[in-house]
Formats: sequence, structure tokens, C-alpha cells
Amino acid sequence: MAWKVKVSVVHFTDRRILGMIALIATGAIIPIFIPEALIYILGLTCLFVILAVSWDLIVGYTGQINLGHTVFVGVGAYVAALSQVPSRFEGTELGFLVYMPIPPIPLSILAGGLAAAIIGLIVGVITLRLKGWYFALVTAVLPLVFIQTTVIWREIFGGEEGFSIGLERALAPTSTGKYYAALVIMFVSVLIMFIIANSRIGLKFKTVREDSDLAEAVGINTTNYKILAFVISAFFAGIAGASMMHYRVTVGPDFYDVPLMLLIILAAVIGGLGTIFGPMVGGFIIYLAKFWWLKGTLPVIAALGLPLNDDMILYAILIVIAIFAPGGLWSKIKKLRLRASSSM
Amino acid sequence: MMIDFEVFIRILIYGATISGIWALIASGFTLIFGVSRILNFAHGAFFILGAYFGIMFIHSLGLDPYTSTMIGMAMVGLLAIAAYKGIMSPVREHEVMVIIVTLALALFLEQLVLIIFGEHGISFPSMIGGVSFIFGVPISNVRLLTLLIAITALFLLGFFIDKTRLGREITAASQDAEAATLTGMNIEKLFTITIFISAILAALGGSLFAQIYAVNPFLTLKALIFAFAIVILGGLGSVRGSIVAAFIVGYILTIVIILFGARWAELVAILIIIAILVLKPTGLFGVKE
Repeated sequence: MAWKVKVSVVHFTDRRILGMIALIATGAIIPIFIPEALIYILGLTCLFVILAVSWDLIVGYTGQINLGHTVFVGVGAYVAALSQVPSRFEGTELGFLVYMPIPPIPLSILAGGLAAAIIGLIVGVITLRLKGWYFALVTAVLPLVFIQTTVIWREIFGGEEGFSIGLERALAPTSTGKYYAALVIMFVSVLIMFIIANSRIGLKFKTVREDSDLAEAVGINTTNYKILAFVISAFFAGIAGASMMHYRVTVGPDFYDVPLMLLIILAAVIGGLGTIFGPMVGGFIIYLAKFWWLKGTLPVIAALGLPLNDDMILYAILIVIAIFAPGGLWSKIKKLRLRASSSM
Repeated sequence: MMIDFEVFIRILIYGATISGIWALIASGFTLIFGVSRILNFAHGAFFILGAYFGIMFIHSLGLDPYTSTMIGMAMVGLLAIAAYKGIMSPVREHEVMVIIVTLALALFLEQLVLIIFGEHGISFPSMIGGVSFIFGVPISNVRLLTLLIAITALFLLGFFIDKTRLGREITAASQDAEAATLTGMNIEKLFTITIFISAILAALGGSLFAQIYAVNPFLTLKALIFAFAIVILGGLGSVRGSIVAAFIVGYILTIVIILFGARWAELVAILIIIAILVLKPTGLFGVKE
């Protein structure tokens, strides 16, 4: 009897779950068929998916426009990197950290997540009691400030170039190994976020988004729920940042930077906000588009001699998509399908 | 730390100059937000394009700095109208989309400038040469002229908003766009005019900035961030608030930069914002959301 209850809790008939299982299966066997360079990118794509999904948790579910998600990515990455190379603290005020024992990789990634969650809590407590626009502006400012810290404390963070933690501290010794590690991290993270989003807590997040006055009236403390969503979202962004760092074995200010933020927004919006599964698919499409397909256009651009690069093509596509489907590409497709089926 | 008289005078004048430039940028940003609720992330791109267009006209057509500044402003204004009609207006109902398209436009223009002009800073040929002595302290004339131009432009903006019919319509629309439509105002036309004014203020700020310092493509986002800081302090949507806040932020940054070095500027800016948000969450002169 007991297992029957469990089954109904996990909703095995849910098409999203079935889709995820199909994705896991595909993800597990795909390295057999593709070249190693693509396996490397595909692993990074998995970690990027966590960023898109975790951004969805705060923006799609509670409706708070967070433009500083990369802060948590960067904090996660730098904390994990410094935990692996504590000698970077030598000669600074934090010199006592030099003798810190070097944690194993899973612990280092967890530390990155926790550090990001703490920053998220601080930022959230200060800004989430404000009305939407101020939150968007403040979070937009934050990444540039964190980039600046890497220059100010150059001895520790390594300035514009960042620093390397050494190949022996990589997520796995081979590209395929790293890919599988990234795949597992992605599925565990997305699954946890999926469960949260579909729990009573997730329902309250949505109530906060739909009608915050009503939510207050029925006894939901909207600010606390927004902060909770923000901290969870920050935690997973930190996990993803730390994992990416162990994947690349280098850290640098690009983890904080605005182009990454735009990619995250793009993935989540194209996939469809407030769905978890949508941003996951969007994450795969966007990251592969940027780092695999668009790279193929480079020789063409060079041959034509135009003042263009692959980033600009991506931005142009993004603008076109936004105008074509302001509610997200997914809802547009659903609408078109609905129209097609009703006309039949 | 001892601050001698010369440093004091320098802070006073350098601070006023940079504050005037930031006020031009921030007031334009808050003006278009107040009227249309569009958070224009491409505003920083309008700022640098003002400078780059001007530099282009000086070098390719041999125009003088004044004329090329004017033409540069006009071109940025037209570009802004095109951007409004083409990409902002269609997605205006979707807050996230407005941010996405304007941010994408900003990054697109940043890359374009990067490819054409390179990553290194370029200066705008000065409108005026020479040095004046203020209480015996040498200050370049271009700084003084910049301050004069910025303040004149801000006064003209204030006069336009308070005293002309169009300006009062803009104020009315920023208080209640729906009611303004009901009284028969053409909201679309108003938004188009506002984005034009907003952009030429930014472009003027850009060419003034490039005469004293230098422009590089990465200022696209940096200028935007400082505009955010100022607008948060002044209160989103309040032009007067953003001008006052520009001078507060400008002076604090000048003091920090002169006494401690430029690398601390962003960090101090964010600390100011955090302090303001904790003490007075809607800024100094915020309007109702």
C-alpha cells in the first residue's frame, strides 16, 4: 500500500516527469555518438541549465525581476576556487586561511552554493521589501560591483585574468567523466527545484506573484516567501558556478559578467517562465546555439567582412524573438498548436 | 588625511563637472521611465554613441567639435526613436521583455563600437583650449565649459518640463498615463518625443565626458550602472531628484577617486545605494509606482 501513495506523490504520469526521464536516458547515451569537443560543451550546457532554472524560481515563480543572478554564479565559483587554492590568501589580511585544509570537490561545490545563499539572504533582506523596479535596478548594479572586487583585491581574486586551480582538481579527469558529473549535478539540482516549485511552498510563491495584496490578506508573509525563493535560487546558482569552475578549472570575472546574465534571461524566457521544464529546454538551446552553432557562422562573417561577430547575431536573434513572442517562445508555440488543432 | 586648499578646489570643480554630466544621463533615464515605465537599458549606449558619432564626424568630415556634437546628438535621438518604434513599443506591456530587448540592443551596439573603434579609450577633441586659474589653482577651460553646458542643458530641461505645454503633458502622462489618454493626449507621440529628449541628453553627456576623459565601449554598461545608482538615490521617475542625486553621487565619487583611487568608485557607489535603500527605500524624491 505504501508504495502506491508514493507513486501518486511523484506523479509518474506527469508528462514533464516522463520528458525528464527521456532526457536522462538521452543524456546518458549521447556521449557515445558525438565528438569530444562537443561533449565538453554539452557538460557546460548542463550546468548552465541549472542557472536558467534557478533564475526561473525567483523570476518566474515570485515575479521578482532579478538581473544580478551572475553575482551568485561568481560567488560560488570564487569561493570554490579559493577553497582549493588557499595559498592565494598569503600576505593578505586573511592570511590565516592559508592553513585551511583543502576540501574535497563535492564539499567545495557545496561551499560555493552556501556562500551564494548567504549573499542572497543579505541582498534579499535589504531589497525584496521594495517594489519591483528598485529590486531590478539594484540587482542590475551588483554584478559590476563584484567584478570590481576582483580588481581591488587582485592578489586574492587574480584581477581580470582570474586564476587556475590546477587540472588535478577538475570535476573528473576526462571530458566524458566531467560531462557525466555535470549531468548528475544538473538532474539532482533541477529535481530538487522541481519538487520545491510543485510543493505548497511553490504554490505560495505563485500567490505572491499573482496578487501580493491577496497573499498578505490570507496570511502569507510575501517578503519572507520572496526572500526564501531568492535564497534557494541563489544557492543553486552558486552550486552551478562552483561546478562550472571545477569543470573549467579556472575562475575569472566572466562568471559575474552581463553577457552571461543575458544568456540566462534568454534561456528562461524562451523556454517559458514559471515552468522549470521550459527554462531547462531553453537552457540547452541557447547555450548550444551560442557556443556551438553560432561559432560556425564566424568564417562566413569573416568572408563577408561585415562589422559583426557571433555575439551580435545572438543579440539580434534575441530581439527578433522578443518582438515575435513577447510572452516567451513556448507560449507562442502552444498558442499556434491550439489554433492549428481548433481549425481542424 | 590632510586636504590642502588646492585639492579642495579641485574636488569642488571636478566634482561639479562630473556631476553635471551624470545629471544629464540620469535625468534622461528617469524621464523616459517616468512617462512610459520603460527601463531603458540601452541608455548607456546612447551615452557612448553621442561621443563616438561626434568623433567620427570630426575625423571623417573635418567638422568642428560644436557642430559634430550637435549632429551626433541628433543622430542618437533619431536612433532612439527608431529603437522605440522598432523594438520597445511592441513589447511595452511585458516588463521583462523591455529589459531584454534594450539590454540586447545595448550589448549589440557595444560590440559594434568595439569592432569599429577598438577597445581603447578615445578622446573627443576639446571645444576649447587653455587653462584658467580659480583661486590660483589651474583648471582646464574645457572642464569649466563642460560644466556650463551641462547646467544650461539641465535648466533648459527644467524650463521645458515646467513651462511648455508639451512638458506639462509629459508630467501628466508620468503621473497617470491612462488618465492622460482619456483627456485626448496622444501617448505614443509623447513617448516618442520623450525618448528623443532622453537620448539627446545622454548623447550630450557622452561627448562632454569624452572631452575630459575618454570613451571606450565598456562605458555602455558602466554609465548605465552609475545612472541606476543616481536614479535609485533620487527616486525612480523624478527628474529633479535625479539631478540632486547626481550631484551627491558625483561629489562622493570625486572625493573617493581623488583621495583613494578610481578602482574604489563602483564599490562606493553600491554602498551608497545600500545605505539609501535601508534608510529611505523610495529614494529622495520617488514617484508612486
